[in-house]
Amino acid sequence: MANPAVMSQTAAGFDAVSRQLEGPQGPKPRKRFSRANIFIYGTLIVVAFYYALPLYVMIVTSLKGMPEIRLGNIFSPPVEITFEPWVKAWSQACTGLNCDGLSRGFWNSVQITVPSVIISILIASVNGYALANWRFKGADTFFTILIFGAFIPYQVMLYPIVIILREIGLYGTLWGLVIVHTIFGMPILTLLFRNYFTSLPEELFKAARVDGARFWGIYFQIMLPMSLPIFVVAMIIQVTGIWNDFLFGVVYTKPDTYPMTVQLNNIVNSVQGVKEYNVNMAATILTGLVPLTIYFVSGKLFVRGIAAGAVKG
Amino acid sequence: MAEIAESVVGAGATPDDRRARSERGFVTGIVSAALIWLAMQLGLNLLFELAGPTGAWVAFLLPWACLAFAVLSLAGMYSTRSGPVVVGSNRLRRNAYGWWLLAAFLLLMAILGESAEPIFDPLGKFGGIIVEFCSDHGLFWGVAAALVGAALVIAGTDTLQANRPGLVERVLVLNLTAKIAAIPMAVVAVAVFLGGTIWTVVYSFTNSKLLPRAQFVGLDQYERLWSTNRWIVSIENLMIYGICSLILSFIIGFTLAALMDQKIRFENTFRTIILYPFALSFIVTGLVWQWILNPDFGVQSIIRGLGWESFTFDPLNNADIVIFGILIAGLWQGTGLVMVLMLAGLRGIDQEIWKAARVDGIPAWKTYLFIVIPMMRPVFITTLVIIASGIVRLYDLVVAQTSGGPGISSEVPAKYVYDYMFQGQNLGQGFAASTMMLLAVAIVVIPWAYLEFGSKNRG
Repeated sequence: MANPAVMSQTAAGFDAVSRQLEGPQGPKPRKRFSRANIFIYGTLIVVAFYYALPLYVMIVTSLKGMPEIRLGNIFSPPVEITFEPWVKAWSQACTGLNCDGLSRGFWNSVQITVPSVIISILIASVNGYALANWRFKGADTFFTILIFGAFIPYQVMLYPIVIILREIGLYGTLWGLVIVHTIFGMPILTLLFRNYFTSLPEELFKAARVDGARFWGIYFQIMLPMSLPIFVVAMIIQVTGIWNDFLFGVVYTKPDTYPMTVQLNNIVNSVQGVKEYNVNMAATILTGLVPLTIYFVSGKLFVRGIAAGAVKG
Repeated sequence: MAEIAESVVGAGATPDDRRARSERGFVTGIVSAALIWLAMQLGLNLLFELAGPTGAWVAFLLPWACLAFAVLSLAGMYSTRSGPVVVGSNRLRRNAYGWWLLAAFLLLMAILGESAEPIFDPLGKFGGIIVEFCSDHGLFWGVAAALVGAALVIAGTDTLQANRPGLVERVLVLNLTAKIAAIPMAVVAVAVFLGGTIWTVVYSFTNSKLLPRAQFVGLDQYERLWSTNRWIVSIENLMIYGICSLILSFIIGFTLAALMDQKIRFENTFRTIILYPFALSFIVTGLVWQWILNPDFGVQSIIRGLGWESFTFDPLNNADIVIFGILIAGLWQGTGLVMVLMLAGLRGIDQEIWKAARVDGIPAWKTYLFIVIPMMRPVFITTLVIIASGIVRLYDLVVAQTSGGPGISSEVPAKYVYDYMFQGQNLGQGFAASTMMLLAVAIVVIPWAYLEFGSKNRG
């Protein structure tokens, strides 16, 4: 009889009954554990788990030693954490004859991304501003071509650009790739800026004109200060886009100037030698680190960036 | 007075009919002349010659017809702009631009005359004379014309007693800064997007091998393309990948968006987790999934380790299902985007709809299926276009994950183009294949553009 388990059960039962007797108090509670909610959260948690899994696998694999990888399964956390693969991926991994790791690709990518982002945003913002506020004849035609250009498969324009770059002597150089990124970033960025500047109240623009401000005056003194968020959005789009690019990198650069993605692919998919999966995964994370950082830091602005080009065309 | 106001405001002017007509003619003339010149550059005259004697005549007459058209319309513009030439008037400035245009023409010809390629050949003997003259004296006369123009501008600048400016001035002066600012856009749009596309399409009819050559062979490249096994496999793969990817990413993306729209907590967390793959490159995506699907260490070995010894899941090394291995990675990377777009669409739906549906006792899933989804048609279409044009470009993922293997079983058209253009040294095939890709995109995009923008024009 004096079983403590039964005792506590009955006590709990009394508690519940007494609570029922007291009746509901306060506002009607939101049903937090309704069947629908369990379904919704359950599904979302499973899905989120699935989406997060590869990142987890990447990190875990990169922290293991090769013997451990050969024995264990890819999902198990590392027994002995080692940063050796990271060091190796950064400074020793081989592509062909070069064995100085991903660092070269990283610096190449930096040298490509920084000027490309700056130049393309400058050009596109001025273009968008001209299209939104200084509409002139023929502007819409160019703009339409530009927007269609965003949909044309890059493969169609690859070779003509090779010819152009060869003519101006930039084929195979970092600056050639900068030009290419500037060109192909233009449609989406121009659209972004045009839509943004169009959404600003026109009275501002008119007032500035009445006060005698001209094209650049209005741009620098009125439009620019008002549109910092959209510049950040454009930067996010461009940095991730350019950093993640592979096709242009592989077409327009030479092995010395390969950006990080191309070098990563060469390291991981190289046929020679023993496959070092931990080094490969470390290299993969290193390559994904820049866009991931931007993504996690920028949060909602990133979402706004991808929605900006898409929802309102 | 009204005209002055117009000239100051610039946009939205309502020019008088006669002038408008002649100016339009002028522009048409210039544009068509430029197009013909471009066409000649591209080697279209060779096409004409291939078409026999009639074609040759067309090729010979067309540029001249164009030039005549341009000159006539230019003359027409000036004839409708009659009025006294007064020192200090706007007309002097307007003439200055004419002089500058002439200077630009002379200088250009002088430069072009130096180059070895006989660009103006199709213009015949007269064209030859022009080129010859310009290569000898073009520099001098060009500079002289530019100076005359400058003098006219100085003489004509100090007054606002302007009648409405003619076309040349409106093209070059009104909103000039805006136009200069838009030059990069115009150059990119015309030279790269339009010019590059036309160039590729034209050269897809040639037998270019290592270097582009203007030897036209008709549809040979396309015939060879469609009889190449690798291309057929590429197309099949793209079809399977495309259809599955579209359907699945829409279903998953919309379902997730609908779940996220239930006023849940931690929405930001869930969105952040589901969307982060989109920030990663296809290369990273491909390599990660290559690792996870690795038969010796990945999913297969783990499930075998759990006791199911005969379990086989090795898509990346099985030619029959390799494309689904790529699909898994592609979906992982791309559904977040669809979800975000769909979520934006759902948030755009009027909340009253939901109340009305609830009052009528319609269950939630029916409301989604029969009310909300039809209302979200524009979002669906835009998403479809974005996803579809991305699918056609599918390249990095395949390169990273399988390099097209095993064998050729996971080849895709974009990879075919790259391999033939830059490694197989068979440019003609690459051009033909990329033209087919362009065609595929056009089939998706043009109806969409027609729906999206065509209806706007109709009101």
